[in-house]
Amino acid sequence: MLWVDKYRPRTLDKIIVHEEIAQNLKKLVSEQDCPHLLFYGPPGSGKKTLIMALLKQMFGPGAEKVKLENKPWKIDAGSRTIELELTTLSSTHHIELNPSDAGFQDRYIVQEIIKDMAKIRPLDSKGKKGFKVLLLNQVDKLSREAQHSLRRTMEKYSASCRLILCCNSSSRVTEAIRSRCLNVRVNAPTHEQIVKVLEFIAKKESLQLPPGFAARIASQSNRNLRRAILSFETCRVQQYPFTANQAISPLDWEQYVSEIASDIMKEQSPKRLFLVRGKLYELLVNCIPPEIILKKLLSELLKKLDFELKHEVCHWAAYYEHKMRMGQKAIFHIEAFVAKFMSIYKSFLIATFG
Amino acid sequence: MRKRRPAVVLLSSSEEENEPSKPRSSRSAIAPRKRPRAGASRKASSVSHPKPRRSSRGVKAVKFDSGSEDFCEGLEDFHIAPEKTLSGLQSKEGIQLWVDKHKPQTLEELAVHKKKVEEVKKWIEDRVKAPKEDFGGNRTLLITGKTGVGKSAAIHVIASQIGAVLCEWTTPTPTLWQEHIHNSNLGLRYMSKLDEFEYFVEKSRKYSLLHMPNSEGSRKPVILLIDDLPTINGRAALVRLTKCLTALTHSTQVATIVLLTEYCKTESADSPTHHYEELESSLCRVGASKVTFNPITVNSIKRTLFKICQQEGHDVTADLINYIAKSSGGDIRHAITSLQYCCLRPEKCFSWQASAYISSKIESNDSTPVSISSKKEGEDAYDALPLSIGRDETLKLYHALGKFLHNKREITDQSALGSDTILLKDSFLRNPLKMDAPEKILSQANAQGRLITDFLHENVLDFISDEAIDDAWLVISYLCEADCLLANAVCSTYPQTDVIAQSIASSIAARGVLFGNSHPLPSRWHTIRGPKLWQIEQSMGLNKNQMQKETFERYPYNSSEVSTEYRPRIKWLSSQTPVDAVAQQNPVLYPMKADDHADSVSSDGLTEESPSEESEDEIEDC
Repeated sequence: MLWVDKYRPRTLDKIIVHEEIAQNLKKLVSEQDCPHLLFYGPPGSGKKTLIMALLKQMFGPGAEKVKLENKPWKIDAGSRTIELELTTLSSTHHIELNPSDAGFQDRYIVQEIIKDMAKIRPLDSKGKKGFKVLLLNQVDKLSREAQHSLRRTMEKYSASCRLILCCNSSSRVTEAIRSRCLNVRVNAPTHEQIVKVLEFIAKKESLQLPPGFAARIASQSNRNLRRAILSFETCRVQQYPFTANQAISPLDWEQYVSEIASDIMKEQSPKRLFLVRGKLYELLVNCIPPEIILKKLLSELLKKLDFELKHEVCHWAAYYEHKMRMGQKAIFHIEAFVAKFMSIYKSFLIATFG
Repeated sequence: MRKRRPAVVLLSSSEEENEPSKPRSSRSAIAPRKRPRAGASRKASSVSHPKPRRSSRGVKAVKFDSGSEDFCEGLEDFHIAPEKTLSGLQSKEGIQLWVDKHKPQTLEELAVHKKKVEEVKKWIEDRVKAPKEDFGGNRTLLITGKTGVGKSAAIHVIASQIGAVLCEWTTPTPTLWQEHIHNSNLGLRYMSKLDEFEYFVEKSRKYSLLHMPNSEGSRKPVILLIDDLPTINGRAALVRLTKCLTALTHSTQVATIVLLTEYCKTESADSPTHHYEELESSLCRVGASKVTFNPITVNSIKRTLFKICQQEGHDVTADLINYIAKSSGGDIRHAITSLQYCCLRPEKCFSWQASAYISSKIESNDSTPVSISSKKEGEDAYDALPLSIGRDETLKLYHALGKFLHNKREITDQSALGSDTILLKDSFLRNPLKMDAPEKILSQANAQGRLITDFLHENVLDFISDEAIDDAWLVISYLCEADCLLANAVCSTYPQTDVIAQSIASSIAARGVLFGNSHPLPSRWHTIRGPKLWQIEQSMGLNKNQMQKETFERYPYNSSEVSTEYRPRIKWLSSQTPVDAVAQQNPVLYPMKADDHADSVSSDGLTEESPSEESEDEIEDC
């Protein structure tokens, strides 16, 4: 088992990083009144860990016995029936799914699953706790229509099910949903917190940590705890005993993006654009989300860019990120950003150096 | 004639039963492929214009055999006053196609070029007259040409001229699936069309049609005509057919004519065209002579159409005929059918309107001094004509794409445009397009928005000149817009808006490519690729599924975390350490290893790609 999974705190009591939130959640659940919850925060901050620990607190160990289901859904949407397959992870008490996997038909899947859940209302031995939890990941990727219909369903079935929503940015969740949930912001852990966690793992694994090494991993992790632990483990495999100045290998796709960035800086022509397209395809095939590619590419480009262009380039990156969300095929939009950058950069070069 | 009825299919079969042979024999040649009623009705129709010999023959025929129903009808028509012939013709002969009715009877009537006809005729005569031993293996003639250029007609006319009997391979009607089921239930073995053809060829080779009873002293020469080759699908069938035909060419005892129809080029490489080209070359190799019929010229089509109009008594304007002839593209069968269609319209206003429209356009075309724009207008008028005749002008997708990508434009000087045009900045000025409106091309190519956008996206960068990165951006930003529209189209619940958004998107994509690419590369040959994007999306989906399977089992992560953080690390871990070490440390990782391997085979993973890319970069640095 990877260390990330191995040292994941299973109960709210054991949580180190967001102790305060954990304690609050515990109080909330123990009072038997659980509202809809919305967890938001940057990746690798511990949202999911909190949620799973919370579920365990609510339902006991039964919440951990999950099974994976790839179930075909048949949904009657007025004039036509939609058939789609969706992978869900469920225990007797909760169902977890990624509604954004359903693409543009997410609206129907959310409604349908909630209805389905509401039909089979579980009763435990005491006849209490007559609700199930629906855990929706990546709510921010839900389409506007889906979010709208989610709001109605939330109201209608609130007696029989609770929603736990999880997303990176609450700004993409509509106001209506946010106001119906208890919002829990999960901050990215600070460097000190990451170091603390790494030291904890090192102690458990009985490893010798040279001073400053954990801090270096933490600073490279971009305040992402998961990444920090993963790269810690890689370092362990790479070389042990650790040395303080040991190289921490970057992720291959990130390296690849920075390669693309230097390609773009070197030459600005349709031919080069075509080459870049091929490399972007390579990233997409490996399921790197296009938003993340665009973000990383922008940060790589900004590193090498003259100060006066930064504003404009950021503007276009934001523009095409928005377009990407509206559109269907991400490559068009990433490529448009690259082309725009090339065009800006080229005219800048001509203006400066003639 | 009647006695010559053979076991093999003879074309002039049914008509002799209805008609007495005596009046027929006055006509020297046999019109072999005639429908039963063709003779009778032609006589009726020929009444409207004086042709004494024929009509008198009609009367004679009535005397001879007045009981025949056909001739009663003919008689009726004969009595109808000339003014009324139109309605009479329509009611009685609506069922008769002019194409059949006005089949050429003599060599002069053939619209095919004289030289070609002579060539074929000479070839046949040589073979027919000369003793069997001559010409060695060269007893096969291959005639190729587009549809409707008169291949079959020419052969039939020539055969009747020189008095030869055509023995034709008629393709059996295709078997329906239900029939096939029925037959196989009855225990009948299915025989493919190719099988039947082989059987026929075999038979004709063995018996060389000599068993045809021929009691009329002088034996009429026999020509074997293979008009309709069985459809073949795939290599094996092609080889069989080729073998069969070459065997026939080698051993045939009678003059054999094979007709091959050239189709226009289609997109897929595995099309029948491809096969027929091979067939043609292999036949030529074994010593068959070959004659190619070109599309019929506009003038000779016009001549034929005029003649038909005269015979039918329709007053059709010269312009309409001109238009039909031009739009038919050398296909005389099509031209005649179009003409009949035009004349069939009950109210004449249609043709008046149309012809007035055409003539005005033509006048404008002719009267104005020849400038590019006006000429273009005239051509447009032809295209925009509200006539539903003319050959189907659909374009192949690749053709349409080529038009957009090559972006050919007229070269005009700015001063010629005059003052009435709105002044634009230089950066927005484009020369007029050397093609129809993009929307028209799109509708001709019947291209869906998504399809056209993806194709343009894949190929457009190859057509932008290397300096013009601004153009590239402009083009791609238009494609972006099209993509957004298409995404909305998919989401929308109303099918109508769906269609509109689709067509708008494709129009934006096409026009964006045309407008944005202001510095197109000089025209050159360039292959158009299929979108790689589709392939990428497919393998992306596969990868995603696999990832879900792998990771959900251990712990539910969402996909972006898995792909950006776990997978690279796990890949790295498993590639760095010896397998057993990993297996010891992380038992879970071990099964991943195998999966990973399979994954990197199915889609080239990052790890394989990146080293080569790096080396490339290094070379560039140096």
